[in-house]
Amino acid sequence: MELQLQNLRKQYGSKCAVRNVSVSLVPGVYGLLGANGAGKTTLMRMICGILKPTSGSIRLNGKTMEELGERYYAHLGYMPQDFGFYPDFTAREFMMYMAAVKGLEKKKAERRTEDLLYMVNLSDIADKKIKSYSGGMKQRLGIAQAELNNPSILILDEPTAGLDPKERVRFRNIISDFAKEKIVILSTHIVSDVSYIADTILMMKQGRFLLQERMTDVTDSIRGKVWELFVDEKTAAKYSKDFAVVNLHHENNMVRMRMINETAPRKDAEAVEPSLEDLFLYYFGEETEKREEM
Amino acid sequence: MLVKYEFLKILRRKSTLIVMAVSLILTAFLFGLPVLQYQTYNQDGVIKGAAGIDYEKEQYAKLSVSLSEEYITETIKEIQELFQNPANVGYDGNEQFLIGDAYWNKTAPREKLLNLIANAYSRPDETLGYNNLPDLDMTEGVFFYQTINEKVETILDNPSRGLSREQKRYWSAMADSVDTPLQYGYYEGWEVMISSFELLMIALLAICIVIAPVFSGEYQAGTDAVILSGRYGKTKLITAKITASLLFGTAAFALHIVVAWGLPLAAFGADGWNLPLQVANTTIPYPFTFLQAVLVNIGVMYLVLLAMIGLTLLLSAKMKSPYLVLIVLVPILFIPMFLTPNGTTGLYNLTLFLLPYRAVMPEFGKYISYQFGGVVLDVLTARAVLYALLTVIMLPLARLGFKRHQKEL
Repeated sequence: MELQLQNLRKQYGSKCAVRNVSVSLVPGVYGLLGANGAGKTTLMRMICGILKPTSGSIRLNGKTMEELGERYYAHLGYMPQDFGFYPDFTAREFMMYMAAVKGLEKKKAERRTEDLLYMVNLSDIADKKIKSYSGGMKQRLGIAQAELNNPSILILDEPTAGLDPKERVRFRNIISDFAKEKIVILSTHIVSDVSYIADTILMMKQGRFLLQERMTDVTDSIRGKVWELFVDEKTAAKYSKDFAVVNLHHENNMVRMRMINETAPRKDAEAVEPSLEDLFLYYFGEETEKREEM
Repeated sequence: MLVKYEFLKILRRKSTLIVMAVSLILTAFLFGLPVLQYQTYNQDGVIKGAAGIDYEKEQYAKLSVSLSEEYITETIKEIQELFQNPANVGYDGNEQFLIGDAYWNKTAPREKLLNLIANAYSRPDETLGYNNLPDLDMTEGVFFYQTINEKVETILDNPSRGLSREQKRYWSAMADSVDTPLQYGYYEGWEVMISSFELLMIALLAICIVIAPVFSGEYQAGTDAVILSGRYGKTKLITAKITASLLFGTAAFALHIVVAWGLPLAAFGADGWNLPLQVANTTIPYPFTFLQAVLVNIGVMYLVLLAMIGLTLLLSAKMKSPYLVLIVLVPILFIPMFLTPNGTTGLYNLTLFLLPYRAVMPEFGKYISYQFGGVVLDVLTARAVLYALLTVIMLPLARLGFKRHQKEL
């Protein structure tokens, strides 16, 4: 199983949302990271065939989407970011409906619905109308429908957005269970979510891939650039302006700072093991700040 | 399976139930009005509602007759004799009329029939009453059907109608195919139905409102992304959506027809279903019975409905919300209501008679026709062809619209 994106580009007038992205994906979990507006959702929509690329192609095992037609979509499971439901349907009806859209025969659809609702812990309320569900329940139903056809390509766009920490943990576990032998593309800007379950990190900025690394190696590029140090509050205020600060922790009139810089900000700074969050800030620090200022 | 769920999606929406309930109540009310407001009169005064209907039916029991030349002759003679007795005649300074027993017992119960006979002898642009019958010269016979044929020819030859030779030939042939002598009888219920077809526009609008979210509702709810990325999202699902919409439209239309005509039929009865349309107006050229006329116009109206469903689905596939669909659709359905024809010829009038609102009004006696080369189509056929064509064009376009829908940011 190989999903190839070749020179994929999406242009809206003069604005380019995705710029000639090329990547070859094999089974594994891909964490697609990027700030808002980086082009993650556009890229995913193109892979799902609901947004036509301006140029480039998407190939599954060497064949284009157009050549494969319905067969391409049979491989696909998609949970979009702003996922809508039919509020007057029950979860079971919704699953059966989606199973029909995905071409499952009735018996198989019933079995898969039963199994998946159990897996996402919705069996007890399967016959209640979706409008009575909480945000977390809806998200779980969202991933269950994406998994109905046991897809070999599972696309999850911000699946944990809006969930509380407990729900996020539960959700990550569900995704891990579903991910075996599939190409899973998981988009998020919540870095900790992907750090637990992704095998590979794809980092997008302004429509391009900045980085494409195995999870184990992904932080190598900033090794030796992440520092921790204790400073007084006045210095902390100054450093916050001058450096890319990842974290601040106040301890007895002193501040423990974690920052990213090419060189040690001062002699007593200690080089520490970089995390995915550090990496994210390293690449998107400026954009994040700009958004916050806005 | 998909059709079932799509149908369920339509039915489950609260708006569907509300729109259908309002529309059915309004339809029942509007079609019930002729029953509630019905009134006839006799010597003792006005008889309203069900009692009036029963009285009228009783009077008509004696009038279930064949309108042969002999019967027409006899009837005209009877009226002329009544007018010969000055004691029977009143005068209002303008025209003569029968009074007393001559009117209440010998004329009033069959006044509608007498007016029909009198009007066979009128000019196309005038309306006569029974009190014009004494003026008829019957020395050489009444020539009832010949007179009607001549009147039809006069209508067709009227230059203001602008009919071509082919069109005249078409209408003459159609009028000739009407079986004579006409069978007369009670047909009140059917007259109510035929004269109220346009009220069923409420049903058409309600159905379109319910269908409007079929595609655009998916965009609005954000469900388009998952269904379009499903295996059958761009193929069988679209067929299922269209099929479910057509099924719903058909069922809702049938329900409205039952509600609309249930009350008049229950009140007036189905009597007259097999009588020719000409007993309401002798110059109607269509050789239909009342039942056939109603069924034919229902058929045309159903095709209008299908085309409107097609248009609604096309707009729904192209627009982001059901409200936008209705903003475009409602004027298309209702602007023609405010446009009045000023004749039966010319581009304006001929177009107007094809637009949705007018297209549900049968216009049986207006000789409206369309000519394409040597082919002449009467208005009913033209509407049927036009709306069938529109349906055939719009449904595939709606299909394409959803298939090509792009989930933009």
